[in-house]
Amino acid sequence: MKSSSKGKDFCMFALPGLFCFLAVVILPFLYGVYLTLTDWNGVSNVKNFVGLKNFAGVVKDTQFWMSLLLTFKYVIAVVVFVNVLAFAIAYLLTRGIKGQNFFRAGFFTPNLIGGIVLGYIWQFVFSRVFVNIGESTGWKLFEVSWLSEPNKAFAALVLVSVWQLSGYMILIYVAGFMGLSEDVMEAASIDGASGFAKLKNIIMPLMMSSITICLFLTLSRAFMVYDVNLSLTAGAPYGTTEMAAMHVYEKAFTSRQFGVGQAEALILFIIVACISGLQVYMTKKREVEA
Amino acid sequence: MKQEKIGGSKRRAVNFVTMFGLVVIFAAYMFPFLMVVINSLKQKRDIIKSPFSWLFTIKGLSFDNFVKAFTQMDFPSAFGNSLVITVSATILVTILATMLAYYIVRNNNQISKITFALMVASMIIPFQAIMIPLVSIYGGTLNILNHRVTLIFMHTGFSMSMSVFMFHGFIKENVPMALEEAAYIDGCTHGQTFFKIVMPLLKPVISTMVILNSMAFWNDFLLPSLVLTDKKLLTLPLSTYSFYGTYSADYGTIMAGLLLCVIPILILYIVLQKQIIGGVVAGAVK
Amino acid sequence: MKRNVAKLAASGLSVVLMTTMLTGCRFGFASDPDDPNEEVKEEPIDTSVDTFSYDSSLNGTKITLLNSKAEIQVALEKMGDIFEEKSGVHVEVMPVTDGDSPYTKVVSLYNSGNPPTLSILDTTDVIALAEEKGEDLTSETWTEEAEEYLTKIDGKVYSFPLCIEGRGLIYNKKVIEDALGEEFVPEAITTLDEFKALLDKLVEAGIEKPVSLAKEDWSLGAHHLQYIYETYDGTSVGAQEIIEEIKAGNLDLQTYQRMNEFLDMFDVLKEYNVAKGDPLGADYDEMAIDLADGKTAFWFNGNWAWPNLSEAGADNEDEYGFLPYFMSDNPEDFFNSQIQGSPSKQIMMDGQMASENEKAAAKEFLNWIVYSEIGQQMLVKTCNLIPPFVNNPYEPSDPLSRDIYEKVQEGKAFNAAAIVPNDHWSVLGAAMQKYLAGRSDREELITTIQKYWSEQE
Repeated sequence: MKSSSKGKDFCMFALPGLFCFLAVVILPFLYGVYLTLTDWNGVSNVKNFVGLKNFAGVVKDTQFWMSLLLTFKYVIAVVVFVNVLAFAIAYLLTRGIKGQNFFRAGFFTPNLIGGIVLGYIWQFVFSRVFVNIGESTGWKLFEVSWLSEPNKAFAALVLVSVWQLSGYMILIYVAGFMGLSEDVMEAASIDGASGFAKLKNIIMPLMMSSITICLFLTLSRAFMVYDVNLSLTAGAPYGTTEMAAMHVYEKAFTSRQFGVGQAEALILFIIVACISGLQVYMTKKREVEA
Repeated sequence: MKQEKIGGSKRRAVNFVTMFGLVVIFAAYMFPFLMVVINSLKQKRDIIKSPFSWLFTIKGLSFDNFVKAFTQMDFPSAFGNSLVITVSATILVTILATMLAYYIVRNNNQISKITFALMVASMIIPFQAIMIPLVSIYGGTLNILNHRVTLIFMHTGFSMSMSVFMFHGFIKENVPMALEEAAYIDGCTHGQTFFKIVMPLLKPVISTMVILNSMAFWNDFLLPSLVLTDKKLLTLPLSTYSFYGTYSADYGTIMAGLLLCVIPILILYIVLQKQIIGGVVAGAVK
Repeated sequence: MKRNVAKLAASGLSVVLMTTMLTGCRFGFASDPDDPNEEVKEEPIDTSVDTFSYDSSLNGTKITLLNSKAEIQVALEKMGDIFEEKSGVHVEVMPVTDGDSPYTKVVSLYNSGNPPTLSILDTTDVIALAEEKGEDLTSETWTEEAEEYLTKIDGKVYSFPLCIEGRGLIYNKKVIEDALGEEFVPEAITTLDEFKALLDKLVEAGIEKPVSLAKEDWSLGAHHLQYIYETYDGTSVGAQEIIEEIKAGNLDLQTYQRMNEFLDMFDVLKEYNVAKGDPLGADYDEMAIDLADGKTAFWFNGNWAWPNLSEAGADNEDEYGFLPYFMSDNPEDFFNSQIQGSPSKQIMMDGQMASENEKAAAKEFLNWIVYSEIGQQMLVKTCNLIPPFVNNPYEPSDPLSRDIYEKVQEGKAFNAAAIVPNDHWSVLGAAMQKYLAGRSDREELITTIQKYWSEQE
């Protein structure tokens, strides 16, 4: 664009969207940061400046650090499973199989429904349907509700998240595969012992931009998991599946320690920002090299 | 099977295995939905005691749950609210985000860089971290909650960063400068160039984003629950949620309500699927 | 091709659904006489007599009522409609749904500058909010009708006791009598040992696991565990005293008699729990069905559980009632013969943002509930609540509420409400779940409780 109309262009093209974004996201965020430095309890009209006292409260909150550790475990599991699964399914879907559109549409359906609702559906499946199957078949796996044992409840959370997120990632990977030229796809569809090596050496590098997007999306979504956590396990059994976002919410609203909760949210944000930034930087680098 | 005569038998076998694998995975994916559909037609006792049993072994199979859900959630009104909010917010965010993304791509200045970095970073702000300040600013200070317009505005703001991110990537790779320069030579203004030349080229990514955004708006729960409290303004997810009592869940009605919420978006998705696929393919060919 | 098929199928399905929904058709089977989904017949409200004097200047005023008792949402809306008809004041009833705590909802509404005129809250929430936000209701006349059930903060009344709720071991009399082949006299059981003997007899008679025990944290953390405070001497003052002692560290919970007595009872319930194999997998709705069907004979719960039981097939004529929470073998201990009943839900009025007109209208609504013939009836019959007001002549009709009502009248209930922090039920509910699942022992549980209190300010 010509430099003479720079200001006008900015006002016309950038300003309206930027304004919405700043007003709804950035302004409340900054205001929230300010609130972590006060003793505001969420209700009172009085806000006293207390400095970093809330952050000291965070350090003492062992439950928070445990939930953070759990979140890390969860994120790793979800990111790995979602991307491997979505990549594989997208690969299969783009091999000219019949009804691929139908499959793709189907895999995407979990994304059509909100997380709260999905969590309730699965809670029903885990606690009623599976147990019912267990009772009638005697399968040990389903004898006891998955949601009443800490490790299995965690597995259930991962399973539901993978189920929910993979459909979206399949879309992106499918688009990536379709973006590859016919020759490459032809190479990819040659079967045999060299198939996997070709996949690894030819396809993967060309798919790096899709992988970057998918990794970024799964990472940030997994870190922020709240809806499914709340409706599927609500931290049960006995608080062992409470993840960071949920802990923050509980801290602020149930325990009425708003400043500490907000400070924890801020710490969570910083951690996620660092990890996501690092991931984008590293995959981008590989993208360029490839 | 006839058409596959052309391929070798090995190819056919591999295709069969692939197909089989996909069908199995697909069935596993659909299982929870199957449970919802089946149980939405049952009565509470049967849902709890035998959730897995098929419809025909159960007595009293009926559409009562749907009738109950339809009336209790005031479906027509909730549907209307959801529709108005989703459509307006989707249109608004599409226009504003494409313009902003276009500006960022074509103006490589400090403002662009900062804006883009800020947007990418903001995508990982937990909503919980801004919800109370948000409500406190828009409710307490400005007192504009309980209006659909406020919710539309907030939806637009929250989905801005993701949309700009996606449009940005597409414009950068798929919209050639040459076309725009030709338009300027023909005497088009920036505005005309954008709406007449650039926008049509964005069609594929726009249809993808329209789907993603409208679904997010249609299903969103937490934000609308903070903004809209007046019963007349409730959206579908908010009114479905009212079936969850403190001491009990009316499973049958909930499942029926869920289906009622999902069906409109499912139809939209099936109809628009052609656009998405067409768009993705078009983008790939370019 | 496939796409079109899918498209067709989806639109076909939705058309079918829509038409059947709109016509209200019911296919397959004729309605079953024992249909558990059948609507419960509503008790008629007599509106012919109304001596309440309405203030006509309030005509057209709008007030909002935040409702945290989901099960009476529809009933409250009806009440609001009738009140509007009579007084011209519009009452908008807003529900708080499962995911939100009432406190969170009120706070976010205050932040949005749009608080409800009246809010139904738990007592602990009222105490947290009242002095800053609440309207002083000390001089309202209805305070005289519910003297025993008022919550006072620095000597002032900020809340309206909506109802009395009681809890204990719900029994299904018919199931017990059918199993044992003899008459069941609830009053005859006065100690934990006798209760255990009864359970053993039921086991012998074929009811393998006669007790239903909810795994929900609110049940374990609030309804069970709070007995340790409430049974200190059976009064709210006593409960407060003992909490202060625990908080200050003056009382060792490990040796506190009530703590161990409470766990003795809890262990018995745990032992005979129908879901013993998977105690944390127990389903709340299934418990109601099990009790109504006779798979179990007892369910630890409160009178609010009636809608669930009724839905599970229980009728108003069936004999259900409460046994006390037996904590010792001494029949003289009051908690072995009395059940707990207290005003757990309170209505707080906004004193900060509401206009004078709104306040006057809200006060009129509260007075209408206490003094008008229609309001009195609706509180008891439509909302199915147990009124704390002595001037209300109506009696609840469902067996559970009736049992609580009678026990309150006969002095067989103790009114002790422990005021605990807002996260008590969730934090200690989790600790109780761990104990219930057998993953912690008494010592660990008690240490957790002690630690929780020592961290309170």
